Amino acid sequence: MNSGYDLSSSTYSPDGRIFQVEYANKAVENSGTAIGLRVKDGVVLALEKLVHSKLLVPGTNRRIQTVDRHIGIATAGLLADGRHLASRAFDESLNYRETYRSEPPLSAIAERLGLYVQAYTLYSSVRPFGISAILGAVDKDGPALYVVEPSGIYYGYNGAAVGKGRQLAKTELEKLKLSELTTREAVFEAARIMHLVHDDSKDKEFELELSWIGAETNGLHLPVPKDLFEEADKKGRDALDADMED
Amino acid sequence: MDHFPGTHWGKPRNDNIDAYGTYPLHAHQPRTDAFADGVQRTQQPVVTGASVLALKYKDGIMMAADNLASYGSLARFKDIQRASGDMADFQQLKHILDTLLIEQFVQDDGHKFGPTEIYEYLSRLMYGRRSKMDPLWNSLLVGGFKDGKSFLGYVDLLGTTYSAPTLRNWVWRYIAQPLLRKSVEGREDTLTEEEAVKILEGCMKVLFYRDARSLNKYQIAAVTEKGIWISDSRSVETEWAFAEGIRGYGAQTQ
Amino acid sequence: MSPISQPTSVAFNPYAENGGTILAIAGLDFAVVAGDTRQSEGYSIQTRYAPKVFRLTDKATLAVNGFAADGNIFVKTVKQRLEWYRHAHAKDMPLRAIARLIQTMLYAKRFFPYYVYNILGGIEEDGSGAVYSFDPVGSYEREACRAAGAASSLIQPFLDNQIYFKNQVAVSGTSHPKHLPILDVLSLVTDSFTSATERHIEVGDGLEIYVIVASGRSLTELSSIAGIEEVTGSASATDRVFVIRRELKKD
Repeated sequence: MNSGYDLSSSTYSPDGRIFQVEYANKAVENSGTAIGLRVKDGVVLALEKLVHSKLLVPGTNRRIQTVDRHIGIATAGLLADGRHLASRAFDESLNYRETYRSEPPLSAIAERLGLYVQAYTLYSSVRPFGISAILGAVDKDGPALYVVEPSGIYYGYNGAAVGKGRQLAKTELEKLKLSELTTREAVFEAARIMHLVHDDSKDKEFELELSWIGAETNGLHLPVPKDLFEEADKKGRDALDADMED
Repeated sequence: MDHFPGTHWGKPRNDNIDAYGTYPLHAHQPRTDAFADGVQRTQQPVVTGASVLALKYKDGIMMAADNLASYGSLARFKDIQRASGDMADFQQLKHILDTLLIEQFVQDDGHKFGPTEIYEYLSRLMYGRRSKMDPLWNSLLVGGFKDGKSFLGYVDLLGTTYSAPTLRNWVWRYIAQPLLRKSVEGREDTLTEEEAVKILEGCMKVLFYRDARSLNKYQIAAVTEKGIWISDSRSVETEWAFAEGIRGYGAQTQ
Repeated sequence: MSPISQPTSVAFNPYAENGGTILAIAGLDFAVVAGDTRQSEGYSIQTRYAPKVFRLTDKATLAVNGFAADGNIFVKTVKQRLEWYRHAHAKDMPLRAIARLIQTMLYAKRFFPYYVYNILGGIEEDGSGAVYSFDPVGSYEREACRAAGAASSLIQPFLDNQIYFKNQVAVSGTSHPKHLPILDVLSLVTDSFTSATERHIEVGDGLEIYVIVASGRSLTELSSIAGIEEVTGSASATDRVFVIRRELKKD
């Protein structure tokens, strides 16, 4: 069908596309949703981790990872690729510190990761990353949010969504006045959106992952504490039930 | 171009080895440094930082340090370090330790370094550097509190280590250590916070009178179960009027 | 006068001398290894309690003396090698093998030596008490007794006289004993250290005496010693290790 133009990312199709990169995007589209909110005084990352087996220990295989004290990463797509990219981001962050002896701004890390991911679209010997990564941080310029895609392209966002439920999530994010929300309020919105976009009838069960960076965490990227998590999780679930009754 | 992940793919580029990223790593000849013979390692410290006193008391450990040179403190979790010696080496030390702590933070596995782990790491670091004949020119006091136990340890540029109820560094050993030992030894478990502060204040006063290098301005820090507490800069009341009456030294005219 | 100018600054000296003294005496079926606990540099006492004698296995203890940083790292490395041996062979390394290991490790740093004198004491595979002494670069021999460190020149002649009976003539028709009873040995150790404390400024504060006893030997004499503490590592060990702690003068 694609006449062999999709076998390597080092070959263009006649109309100038690189099919391997597009297939990588498919891997992202089929995975659980991840969202990021850049608000007034912080950043919130949320992720829908689809649980493929009841035998898995809850809370293990976290998909939101920490890159530096102030930087978090949520990935949608192939979990192993997400792990590798987070590890690379960590190395880059230490390398930045080694060179400049200061906390890396998220823009620098996003740029380096963009270059790195792009390199995997150039050669026949490798496959592109099957992930989109949402990076969140509070750095010297305040809250920051970036998405790195399989092509290596990266943009800064106020609100970002990747994975299966991204369309609905984006619609919900657009309704919010992100620049006026506090980080704590954003935790509740994030939990609500994750419950909203999860398709109970089609999808497997999911585990919600929530992390935040803001004044309340002292600028550190940390998982949302248990009590707040449970409150936000419950409210998100209740909002969904109320919605259904309407 | 290197088409194969596993050599330099997955590692940040190192400009010292391959500034333009042109060769696969296995094809590298390590560059010999034409100036290698001229490279000098620290032979003596350039800037000397603060001097430090420390003691154990009932609730944990307490330290005092003067503000003579600008110096840094490290405060992570429930332990602190104070150091004196070469400021550049101290900043390097701080950077290495900070990197270690970030590594641990991103791991997010629930493990945390306590004062003993930090102390062991620093000791190995200092000994490793002296064994390379490239020492970090500092003496360090590590104090902390974890699981109901207080810890106080010393390590210097030779990698020499020891623990004791009272510690101090450099010239202060001749003046402050006897004072500290007299008031602390054998009473580590009963000394109250007020008594500990009083002892340190007393030492600081004597030091300011007798040690030309210390400044009449210092800070006190305590590490207990509750965490770290660092005081504002304070000074001791000193009285110099008696100097008028002293004869036989200096340039008196009569 | 040489026309070549001499360097004026002194290069970094990676060594220090941290005082203290150690000694070990081998009995027929036991060994005693002791050291004071003072650590000093110049005229300053750094700490009154820095152990110099370490239990390696249930049949071996090691005393290190000299440059404390080297000594501590050396002991840690020996312990690590013994643990690896345990993982590979499911038993403790025999004493004479530990002795050879130590010589290899010391000589490996022949051109940047560990500035430490080592004395290894314990029980051999044949059940006899043994003492091995080393110089900093690995030369070693098995002996009946050895003193090392700051006050070695005070203690060694005393031991030569009391253990080897040098300069003593046995009453005609009798001979000097080959091995001394354990309580006599412990008295000699205590006397050695109290005397060294009097006459050497770098010796004092505390005394730690390790006693390694071969399996099958009666422990009745030991049980009479005040404050003796058993520090045998494994419950199934046949040889046993004890430690006796004593105060020394602190001035």
